[in-house]
Amino acid sequence: MKVQTETPHPSPLPARGESEHSAVAERNDAQRGELVVERVFHRYISAGREIDVLHDVSFRIEPGHVACVVGPSGCGKSTLLGLAAGLLRPSGGMLRFDGAPVAIGRNPHLGMAFQQPGLFPWMSVRENVAIGLRTRGQTRRDARRIADEFLDTVGLADFRDAYPSQLSGGMAQRVGIARALALRPRLLLLDEPFAAVDAFTRLKLQQEFKALLRLDRPTVLFVTHDVPEAIALGDVIVAMTQRPASVQRIIPVAREDRDRASPAYARKLAETLACLGVTSDIQD
Amino acid sequence: MATIANSGAATPAVRLSPRVGAWLLGCAGALVALAVWTLLSQLLAHGGGVINRLPTPLAVARKLVAYAGKDLASDLLASLHVFAVGWLVGAASAALIGLVLGRSDRLGRTFLPIVEAIRPVSSIAWVPLAIVWFGFGLTSKVFLVGLAVFLVVIVYAVDGSRRVPADLERTATMLGMNDRQRFVSLVLPGTLSEVLIGSRVALMSGWGTVIVAELVAADSGLGAHLIAVEQSYDVPAIMATMICFAATGFAMNAAFTWAERRMLPWRHDREREAT
Amino acid sequence: MSERSRSLLARQVALPLVGVACVLAIWQATLVAYRLPAIVLPSPLAVAKTLVDLVQTSAFWRDVGVSLFEFFAGYAIGVVLGLFVGMLMGEARRFRMAAAPVVESLRFVVPFAWIPLTILWFGTSYVGKILLVAYAVFFVMVVSAARAVAQVEPTLSRVGTMLGMSRWRLAWQVHLRAAAPTLASAARAAAAIGWIAVVAAEYIGASAGLGLMITNAATSLATSVVIGGMIVIGVIGAGVSAVIGALARRWFDYR
Repeated sequence: MKVQTETPHPSPLPARGESEHSAVAERNDAQRGELVVERVFHRYISAGREIDVLHDVSFRIEPGHVACVVGPSGCGKSTLLGLAAGLLRPSGGMLRFDGAPVAIGRNPHLGMAFQQPGLFPWMSVRENVAIGLRTRGQTRRDARRIADEFLDTVGLADFRDAYPSQLSGGMAQRVGIARALALRPRLLLLDEPFAAVDAFTRLKLQQEFKALLRLDRPTVLFVTHDVPEAIALGDVIVAMTQRPASVQRIIPVAREDRDRASPAYARKLAETLACLGVTSDIQD
Repeated sequence: MATIANSGAATPAVRLSPRVGAWLLGCAGALVALAVWTLLSQLLAHGGGVINRLPTPLAVARKLVAYAGKDLASDLLASLHVFAVGWLVGAASAALIGLVLGRSDRLGRTFLPIVEAIRPVSSIAWVPLAIVWFGFGLTSKVFLVGLAVFLVVIVYAVDGSRRVPADLERTATMLGMNDRQRFVSLVLPGTLSEVLIGSRVALMSGWGTVIVAELVAADSGLGAHLIAVEQSYDVPAIMATMICFAATGFAMNAAFTWAERRMLPWRHDREREAT
Repeated sequence: MSERSRSLLARQVALPLVGVACVLAIWQATLVAYRLPAIVLPSPLAVAKTLVDLVQTSAFWRDVGVSLFEFFAGYAIGVVLGLFVGMLMGEARRFRMAAAPVVESLRFVVPFAWIPLTILWFGTSYVGKILLVAYAVFFVMVVSAARAVAQVEPTLSRVGTMLGMSRWRLAWQVHLRAAAPTLASAARAAAAIGWIAVVAAEYIGASAGLGLMITNAATSLATSVVIGGMIVIGVIGAGVSAVIGALARRWFDYR
């Protein structure tokens, strides 16, 4: 898989494959864009007590794959994402992307969408998407242009000049995703991005999501509590245990499993739920 | 192949519980402040500019002890007396008037705008007028403190008398309460609890008014003592008196917050905490 | 005008006017009933006349100018320092824990308690008053800024870090902007306290200013000047508050 260089391109937006090799391309092909989580432990202190959140978590995500992390509430899924984003320093173990350890603080290779959209309320929608590009060195004009393009991709072109307070929950989430995607990240992290919207909007967003990934094919780590969503979107499901969480099982998802009308889907759903300790039928 | 690589533990080498850590840092900060103070007083001691009379913390402490041995108790009592009377008068009248103005739509619309217009004008602006009217004695000081407390508490009283939570109203209707029962069981307690909270908020402005009143009237109390030592250029004594004043304010605030939390545990409203 | 809007207008405008009229009437009635001399309670008309006279004298405007100068100078210093230190306390946990006891205890030494000391150190000049206002305003802003910055929605900080902002940039571009509406309210409250601090200081020891004018009038029992002066204090206070509020809303309120 080829690696995009850091220099911004004039329009139109090129797909990944058209970029040139850089020195990083010398790396082993199998490692490019690969996320490795290696025996990660994490604890934090809350109200004077130490809480073990993650216990010996290990898994690998292939480049360009979407991994959906599912598990019971509060099991540490968001913490895992925070570690992958370099927002937290792991108490033990290591996270590596593309062979290099995830740095604490700034990681230009990644983009993240949070559970709360986290839009800056004093900026317009377009400025919100553009700000990330500006912090990463784009000129104001280029940043706005790119922001407009990605807003168009998520279907919010008409709301460029609106302010976050004027948006619905689903729209704000889409802006958050556009903001992350506009960074052209090689690692995309999503923390239950569709959790705060109603079921209908969620299905719609799920459908749009796959299309959004086709442009750059980043490696995706997607946290969700919604198992059907995980089957719909993931190439692989990482099922976590209760806190302190470790990886229960890694369940691959095939194309035919995504069809909700198929027996394959039902089997995959049952398998995943069983893995999480939930029976898939409700007895009277 | 990989062992657990501790890539920078989140916890420091010496494990301190966060509360102890906060305490230590706080003490360190206080010590630094005291050290800076001492340094400044040494630097300025030999004709160094405007503030050429900055005593060391130690000198102030000594004066404080001396004051405590002599007149502190009587001065403090005098000030507290003024404060207590003024505070009670102000809170009680605010409760009553607030209740009336809050419940009566007509009266409220007629007179509340006037209250709102006067409220921003701190009672301290009234000091000269109070002295013209009441002279230098207790009455003028009580008037000023009462006014200061009144202006703060009236808002709480009006709010409290109006804002009976909707679900309590509905419960009262379901239980078939008449107007008088409603008033006694819902409006009155609601108003009183708000008045209590407002009275605590009014503590600081009331106590601050005491000192201004005493600074101008200068006949008794901590403020009078402050003027007296100011006129004899006794800077350590001035600072010692200021500390007494601040400490009393702090103690009253702490006592009141404690009492409020015990009596009204459900109303710990962050918005209402005093600045 | 429709029936409803007419009665609405009546209630919102007429009733307060009735209230004011009531107060004036009670004022006049008390004056007459108790046969109070003008040095105790001048009539509303006398006060009005005094105000008109005052506004036409240059000495009055000089006094107002002095007080306003002292206020604005102290206010500017207090706001800037208060914001800076407050933000530092909000951003750096260690600094906040170290500075908190000092800030909290000084907070209880109300500005008015400092007045005798400032008079001793700086005399009756404007320097002491400016420092006093700065002190009063500083403590209001520090507490508010520290709290507001600490209460910024955590997701915004995470977003900023993810987007590649340094801690410095995060503090200025995100935290400060997010806290701006709260800070604007605090700035208004600080203005009220600062203004009254000037007045109080001038009551106790000043060589010029509005407070001195009123104190002098009180000493010579020119009560209508005293009351007139109080009205001026109120009006200026309200005016300053309104201006700061309007500016704050224009610049900082994104809600």
